[in-house]
Amino acid sequence: MDRLGSAIAGARPRVVAALAARLRDLDLAEDAFSEAAASALAAWPSQAPRDPAAWLWRAALRKALDARRRAAVRARAAPDWPEPPPTPEDVLMAADGPIPDERLKLIFVCCHPALAADSRVALTLKVVCGLSTDRLARAFFVGEPAMLQRITRAKHKIAAAGVPFEVPQPDAWPERLEAVLATLEVAYAQAYEDAALAGQAAGFAQDVLRLSGMLAELMPDEPEALGLAALVRFAEARRPARLDDRGAMVPPPEQDMALWRRDLIMEGARLLGRAAGHGRSGPRQILATIHATHCARLETGRTDWATIAALYEVLAEIRPHAPVLVNRAVAIGEAQGAGAGLAALGRIDGLEGWLPYQAARAHLAARDGRPDDARRAYEAALGLGPAPAEQLYLEAQRRSLPG
Amino acid sequence: MQYMILIYEPEDAYAGEAGQALLAEIVAKHMALAEDLSASGVMKDGSGLQDSSTATTIITQGGRQTLHDGPFAETREHLGGYYLIDVGDLDEALAVARRVPVADGGKVEVRPLAVY
Repeated sequence: MDRLGSAIAGARPRVVAALAARLRDLDLAEDAFSEAAASALAAWPSQAPRDPAAWLWRAALRKALDARRRAAVRARAAPDWPEPPPTPEDVLMAADGPIPDERLKLIFVCCHPALAADSRVALTLKVVCGLSTDRLARAFFVGEPAMLQRITRAKHKIAAAGVPFEVPQPDAWPERLEAVLATLEVAYAQAYEDAALAGQAAGFAQDVLRLSGMLAELMPDEPEALGLAALVRFAEARRPARLDDRGAMVPPPEQDMALWRRDLIMEGARLLGRAAGHGRSGPRQILATIHATHCARLETGRTDWATIAALYEVLAEIRPHAPVLVNRAVAIGEAQGAGAGLAALGRIDGLEGWLPYQAARAHLAARDGRPDDARRAYEAALGLGPAPAEQLYLEAQRRSLPG
Repeated sequence: MQYMILIYEPEDAYAGEAGQALLAEIVAKHMALAEDLSASGVMKDGSGLQDSSTATTIITQGGRQTLHDGPFAETREHLGGYYLIDVGDLDEALAVARRVPVADGGKVEVRPLAVY
């Protein structure tokens, strides 16, 4: 993205949030911002003004108020009437003033638990980060009309059902914060899952990185918000090392640490330290600590599997879900021997048709000296439609089996 | 904004002797809630409904109306009552709806009124 483009993208969350809070209309806020961005590209010669956000805020608010006025005139069905004179509000807004920071309100609106969970993710990425409908459609594997409908329906519900443009009251806070964190977590999982980075979801990893950082900045006293921001940073830090030269996936313990982004690891560590200072643990903080333990190989030269296994143990108490249980079994396999890992894996039922389960089984069986079991599991995993990078990795592992 | 709070409960929630005792308990809670909501000016209207066996449904099809004995849909849950409230936004409406007493398995739906 060129410098003007990134100045506009950087200003977007704050400006759209301020517009939406002022106008109480997400569509109008988004449209006005797009128009202002188009004028900006024409009006700014080669570099952005000193304060691009302030410029865009004034231009967009003016355009939105014009659009409202035109709509009101049309509604009166009197085509020849002159434009009404500017209202005191118009005059006031034309003056320089600080942009109110309404980003947290906008995030709470887009992540309201009264909206369907899959709509919340899409709407947040669309409205707060400005992702296009067609990009979201590809990222979430639905057609563009379906994605458009999902977003339109969510916006309609916000307007028609009276979802308030407010930060929730203290009594509703835990539920509402949980909805916000879950929304961002789903968005990031979507972006992270694809190790090949070839998929469409990988493209918005940067957006979630920014969004989670924004949330941590806006809610400095919520340890889980800090934990989520840390988690995303640790995971993104390793992104450049997740593929080898041939495009095959590389698991964390084998990644080339020289490729890891130390700036993100340090940022993650700072956030996690602040979260821990609040003395209230939670699943995102535990996950972030697991990622941090992988990253600690930079300092110690080895992966501390005993700690990772213990952390998964704690996480499994809160989230006894398939990915956690499978990862726990893998960690146990590294810490206590492949046999112990296989035993832990054997206690999980009904995951035979799930790729990460078969991949874990294959890996543990190979390490336990059971090449035939391992081969069967690799074949099962390869039959479950892995992404290209994962396929290359699994094929290489299968080839390296003895016999 | 005005919101309708629709209360759906399992048809057999209040069956039997234990059910009648539960009914008395829930009705008392409704009275207390209605009194509180009226005092604060939130409640515009509301009532319980008789059993769905007392319902009559009018079906219009091909320009003809026919009567049908019973509710429009045969479901395990039936519409047992409603509140009509006037509050600022959805969060306030949901806060009221959460206070509505229901038997186990009950569902409470919150819908804004259409404004014409």
